[in-house]
Amino acid sequence: MGQHLTATAAPLAFSRSAVQRRSEALGEPAWALQRRLKAWEAFERLPAPSVTHPEEWRRTDISGLELGMLTLPADGPVESPPAFFGPVAREGAERGGLLTFLDGRPVVDGGRLGEEAARAGVLFTDLASAVRAEPDLVRDHLFSLAPPDEHRFRALHAALYSGGTFLYVPRGVEVALPLVTQAWLGTPAGAVFPHTLVVADEGSAVTLVELFGSYPEGPRALASGVVELFLRDGAQVRYMLVQEWGAPVWEVGSLIRARLGRDASLRSLVAALGGGLVKLDVESHLEGPGASSEMLGLYFGADRQHIDVHTLQEHRAPHTTSDLLYRGAVKDAARSVFAGLIRVHHGAQKTNAFQANRNLILSEGARADSIPKLEIMANDLRCTHGSATSRLDEEHIFYLMSRGLTRQQATFMIVEGFFADLFDRTPIPRLRGYLQARVAEKMI
Amino acid sequence: MATTSPLGIDLDHYKWGFRDPERYVFKARKGLDREIVEEISHMKSEPDWMRAIRLHALEHFLKRPTPKWGANLDQIDFNDIYYYLKPTDGKGRTWDDVPADIKRTFDRLGIPEAEKKFLAGVGAQYESESVYHNLKEEWERLGVIFLDTDSALREHPDIVREYFGTVVPPEDNKLAALNTAVWSGGSFVYVPEGVKVDIPLQAYFRINAEKAGQFERTLIICEPGSYVHYVEGCTAPIYTTDSLHSAVVEIIVKEGARCRYTTIQNWSKNVYNLVTKRAVAYRDATMEWVDGNLGSKVTMKYPSVYMVEPGARAEILSVAFAGAGQHQDPGGKVIHAAPYTQSSVVSKSIAKDGGRAGYRGLVKVYPGARGSRCAVRCDALILDERSRSDTYPYMEIDEQDVSITHEATVSKVSDEQLFYLMSRGIKEDEAMNMIVRGFIEPIVKELPLEYAVELNRLIALEMEGSVG
Repeated sequence: MGQHLTATAAPLAFSRSAVQRRSEALGEPAWALQRRLKAWEAFERLPAPSVTHPEEWRRTDISGLELGMLTLPADGPVESPPAFFGPVAREGAERGGLLTFLDGRPVVDGGRLGEEAARAGVLFTDLASAVRAEPDLVRDHLFSLAPPDEHRFRALHAALYSGGTFLYVPRGVEVALPLVTQAWLGTPAGAVFPHTLVVADEGSAVTLVELFGSYPEGPRALASGVVELFLRDGAQVRYMLVQEWGAPVWEVGSLIRARLGRDASLRSLVAALGGGLVKLDVESHLEGPGASSEMLGLYFGADRQHIDVHTLQEHRAPHTTSDLLYRGAVKDAARSVFAGLIRVHHGAQKTNAFQANRNLILSEGARADSIPKLEIMANDLRCTHGSATSRLDEEHIFYLMSRGLTRQQATFMIVEGFFADLFDRTPIPRLRGYLQARVAEKMI
Repeated sequence: MATTSPLGIDLDHYKWGFRDPERYVFKARKGLDREIVEEISHMKSEPDWMRAIRLHALEHFLKRPTPKWGANLDQIDFNDIYYYLKPTDGKGRTWDDVPADIKRTFDRLGIPEAEKKFLAGVGAQYESESVYHNLKEEWERLGVIFLDTDSALREHPDIVREYFGTVVPPEDNKLAALNTAVWSGGSFVYVPEGVKVDIPLQAYFRINAEKAGQFERTLIICEPGSYVHYVEGCTAPIYTTDSLHSAVVEIIVKEGARCRYTTIQNWSKNVYNLVTKRAVAYRDATMEWVDGNLGSKVTMKYPSVYMVEPGARAEILSVAFAGAGQHQDPGGKVIHAAPYTQSSVVSKSIAKDGGRAGYRGLVKVYPGARGSRCAVRCDALILDERSRSDTYPYMEIDEQDVSITHEATVSKVSDEQLFYLMSRGIKEDEAMNMIVRGFIEPIVKELPLEYAVELNRLIALEMEGSVG
């Protein structure tokens, strides 16, 4: 085949038998194993993406990723209660439920769902338990939004996924308090494939916050996650993902994809702060009339970080609305790539689609690419996109310094101002301070 | 002794013994190989270095795959094309062969009879001699050279050799390689230092010298402090049975000079129009592309400006109109490779009757190009639900001290706008027309008057029957 890129020969940690072992260790039914094996075949068959092909991978060079150097963490629950996350996950924070994972393994007593929600029939558990306990519900949805043969890393994920959230909200049920998942990667050179599956039934409402983090330095690790969000007619979901991987982690081929039914509403915020390299797709597929999706994004690259986010606003039905705002800052030798596409299909009349990307370049040597694309096949619509890239304005800094601030304070203030409208629109207002603090840390 | 051409091509590598010219008869045949290219070069009695460049480009063309992005080019059969016809060939067509819709458009635009026949490819001569003659004397007095590129190669080989292929190298892309291998015709313009040419140079003026061909090659050199406005093509439909038009335009704008290049392309709707246009702008120079695309089946054309010295400026104005069966994929590229360079791109596209129009562009800012500014604005108007608009702007920013903005909107003609005009007694189709004209106004006003008038008429013609 002549594929000389990463891992043509499957390395020891990744093999057909490893797939079988994982399925067995998780106590999965036969259909789940069959799907994993089929995905494994796809992984072996599909070419590795590279900077020459396909287009979506042209700006992110993953040739430095050696799958052979990675290890697959063991399976099954772990006892040790980890204490790695900040105020959001800490005891006492207002939340309706908590799940905790270490290297994709659910932590025993790592959290629970509030009684009220549990009584209403809400399911909030680790995915492996759901595969065993709710086979039909999971079977119908799992990977139906994210087909394993989309590309090589999607296939690898589908063969080896473990850990991650399963959330089901029954028809008409509204979960008042946010549900929180926290996942930590602690195994040096570990490879994790978290999978989140959310099914919000008709007229339901729920908020989910997911936090990802890892050890701060050490050998290269891999994360490749998939989030599938099903919003049935009239469902209202707020979804927030904060990624604070340490520098060793490369997040490659991750996907957050939502399918929205009639009058469903999604408000999402994705904050990509960590990771040495990040290659992430965020997509909303508006399939029912009246559906609306707010897509907010924040990325901040420092040192030699490389953050590549592709977004898609796919309008397949009339009277749908999407509103995307991604703001990114880069400093030091960091590079960011934003590539957003609005696609309005034939017949999706009366669509409103907006897309804005703003980039702030903080140092010489930092780089930001912006590719806001439109493919419009309907005529009765309103569609705009805008992109702007600029640097710190010396006049603004001078103004603030003339008011007695140090240069650093002035810079802080301007960067915070740059992200302010995102903070203001955070789906979970209580998390605003948390994000502000993370951004401030990046400034140092 | 090894000799190399200005492009570093080993001339010896392409040396071959001339066959006996007495026995040499050129036979037009389809397809492309080394022999055809050698014959073209021989028929034109070209210098060795040009033949070497052609052959080098041919090798590259044959090696390179057809682009897979943008419009679908799979239907082009490169082996089913005549790559060179002697000027006397292909004149067998008569006025009766010209399709009725093309004739009708000529009439509606008010094109003179002789010109119609030329544009339709059935007239041998287009008499612009009297106008042309006076202008020509004036230009010669100033030292301006304005020739077809074949003549320029014979009369000014040193200038052509110095610049040919330096802006668009033969290896640049598959279609540029093809053009370099088989080019014929096109314009050569040389404007000496400090000379400002008041009247736009139009390919029209020397259209009788050599037919505007399939594989034109245009080279424009603006010496420091000079100014020229070159106008290519015309709003009248150019009727051709050739299915492929692949031109290359190279422009060098030296210190403080300004060049404006205007095209209104209206090829007949069977043509694949795949054109490489590129300019290099030096210190404080200004390059402006005004690019209108109305005709052709498929157009892929991205006029670009490389701003390589401080203070260079670029302006690209692009308008595209796609009707039934058309895919207009135009755009532009601005490359900021020096500090304090400025660019602006404005694109207006209109799609109707199932057509597909859009914008594909690149803004590239290299490290060190501090103080650069770029603004891109793309507007699209979609006139019915079967049509499609695409916007693909790429922005690659490697420098912090910059200001780059991009904005785009896609909209339809709103019922309110129509209602307002109709309530003032204007009929619906005329109201629609006015709105579309207003939409492209920022570009039309940049055109020379006669072109602006013709473009407006043409848009009106294309808009006919758009209100059912």
